Amino acid sequence: MTSPAKRLNTRRPFHVTPQGLKRIILGEIGAAGTLQHFAAHHETAPKPLRLTQAPTNHILVIAHTDRGGFDAQAQQAIAAAALLARADAAVAVLVLGSLTDDLTTLGADSIFVAPDCESGLFNPDLELAIATDIIGKLNPLHILLPDNAIGDGDLGRRLAARLGADAAAHVVELKADALATHWQGGATLARRTLPRILLLDPETTDTALAFRGVGETLDYAAAETPASAYAHLGTPAIDTAKLALEEADFIVSAGNGVTDVPTLQAVADAFGAAVGASRVAVDDGKFARDKQIGATGKTVTANVYLAIGISGAVQHLQGIRACRHVIAINTDASAPIAKRADLTIVDDAQQIMEQLLHATRGRNFTAADQEA
Amino acid sequence: MLDQPRLRIAVLAALGRNPVSGAARPNPDDLLALDIALQLSSDVTLLHVGTDTETALGDYFAYGAINLLVVPAGPDIAAQLAERLSGYDLILTGTRSEGGQGSGMVPYLVAEQRGLPIVAQALDLSIANGHVEITQSLPKGQRRHVRVSLPAVVAIHPKAPAKPRYAFARRAHGRLLQVPSSGAAPATVSAWRTEPAIKRPVKFKAAETKSGHARMLSAVATDAKGGAVISSGTPAEKAQAILFYLREHKLIDW
Ligand SMILES: Cc1cc2nc3c(=O)[nH]c(=O)nc-3n(C[C@H](O)[C@H](O)[C@H](O)COP(=O)(O)OP(=O)(O)OC[C@H]3O[C@@H](n4cnc5c(N)ncnc54)[C@H](O)[C@@H]3O)c2cc1C
Ligand SMILES: Nc1ncnc2c1ncn2[C@@H]1O[C@H](COP(=O)(O)O)[C@@H](O)[C@H]1O
Repeated sequence: MTSPAKRLNTRRPFHVTPQGLKRIILGEIGAAGTLQHFAAHHETAPKPLRLTQAPTNHILVIAHTDRGGFDAQAQQAIAAAALLARADAAVAVLVLGSLTDDLTTLGADSIFVAPDCESGLFNPDLELAIATDIIGKLNPLHILLPDNAIGDGDLGRRLAARLGADAAAHVVELKADALATHWQGGATLARRTLPRILLLDPETTDTALAFRGVGETLDYAAAETPASAYAHLGTPAIDTAKLALEEADFIVSAGNGVTDVPTLQAVADAFGAAVGASRVAVDDGKFARDKQIGATGKTVTANVYLAIGISGAVQHLQGIRACRHVIAINTDASAPIAKRADLTIVDDAQQIMEQLLHATRGRNFTAADQEA
Repeated sequence: MLDQPRLRIAVLAALGRNPVSGAARPNPDDLLALDIALQLSSDVTLLHVGTDTETALGDYFAYGAINLLVVPAGPDIAAQLAERLSGYDLILTGTRSEGGQGSGMVPYLVAEQRGLPIVAQALDLSIANGHVEITQSLPKGQRRHVRVSLPAVVAIHPKAPAKPRYAFARRAHGRLLQVPSSGAAPATVSAWRTEPAIKRPVKFKAAETKSGHARMLSAVATDAKGGAVISSGTPAEKAQAILFYLREHKLIDW
């Protein structure tokens, strides 16, 4: 029996447009298009360049790197500059410190690297000399810096004072033509048009861009080191294990998959790391409540987060959003943490911890000791 | 104990604002600066740009200040402060004023206009033969020691371990000196427009120019990248892989 209802051929012919859209041409007869092509298109399509003409002016971002990379706040400042830039403006980035990261996804067009200005060093006169030199050459419309305590907030204020430029600090909201900051301890919101120098607080900008930058690294001959009134006397080593979790740079964190807490503590000591835990591990009584990381625990900003036996529930991942390098040890390769982690080791936590301890045990001995 | 018994210190004192009641009070950062100054020398002068009728200024006396110079507010606070700051060996300020704009710019402007070096984020300072040695606070619990020659401007970090004490009896003993007005009134036009801070700040985002189809794709796609996964090898090799990763990214130095 055939039904009188009109039936559609589910394998109607179609073709794929350059934008990756599947289009059905009514009335056309032919073979079905290749779905494979359709799927592959989206993964590889590179974002278009933002800058398509020779730039006539610049927006400059100045920020310190830490071990070759920018932190989230500095990345937001670069993305903000890319969003502010008109079609004829290039985004220039002055990198204080070494650089290994790719900045094109953040919209950087030209990049100047000053490797002698690592963020831990105190060298305000040299940094000011380099910055004013670049500003003199580019004459940028706006200068953006992250308002942080690793040197960019300090340099931005020095620049504003030296150039006598209009400046806005602690910017909490940014638009194409206006900004806002808090006055009176947060009771008042003050708005104004964009000044020359902007110091941006964290989380002002979404770094997801629809375009990419040219990312050309330009040669930059560093200015003469000026005679300086300042002397850097050193940064004392600190006992990282005693730091609060929020301040720690390296965190070893335990979840339900960790049964051997003393070994975990030993691993943390070997790396000079602070100890954190997932909620389940805390609820089990293995760790104190103040070690819990996640939505109902602490939000951490460590550079390295070693997640041992943690499945990576969303509530936990919320707490480690700002962590730069996440390494997971888990028996389950499909645990959600593997999607967040930069490196996932699939194995039993206890065994890997033992091996890590074994591999790091020799580090306090000199080579001669080991040979003996 | 003091290397220089006659060390002359100026402390810049702004007005703070009680976050609950909104009433004026001494700026907390500047109280820390005052306390540190009193430990270093007995010759401490407070400088305030504003009006002398503000009763909260009296609280600075209760916290130990003896001399308070009030300069009537004109168009440029930093320039007015800088004008009065000759002859001091050390100028201490806070990091941010709680009552006003709180941009933290004033110490830098004062230093630039007087041509002095400035060190911010100071937790602790000591004076030694014409220099001041400062312990700075950096994020992640780090500390840094730096030295500058005097005279210098030093901005005190809000977490400096000073403990200002309030004694009501001292309130009556301070000397408030009003500097005659230079005539220029505070600027009436400002680039800023203010409103009560009620709404949460909005994030700066790329304008959405994508087609509906592309928007759907990006909403469906998980942007979690997922890094390398190592599932073969002995535990020892896997431990080495972790160490290799850490070394490669300069996260450990051994
Ligand atoms: C409202 C709410 C708020 C929450 N807030 C938080 C929060 O702030 N922080 C938080 O952490 N959680 C929070 N949770 C709980 C969260 O949803 C998860 O239940 C919790 O994070 C899971 O912890 P886990 O990964 O340690 O345990 P599990 O989910 O049990 O995961 C254990 C993991 O270890 C692996 N494993 C097991 N044995 C081994 C072994 N021998 N070697 C290696 N790996 C092994 C397993 O494969 C698994 O992936 C919250 C939940 C709710 C509902
Ligand atoms: N009106 C003022 N009078 C005296 N000192 C001030 C005044 N405003 C700011 N300061 C000083 O400058 C610091 C930083 O203030 P601000 O730049 O306003 O955040 C304060 O902690 C004070 O030490």
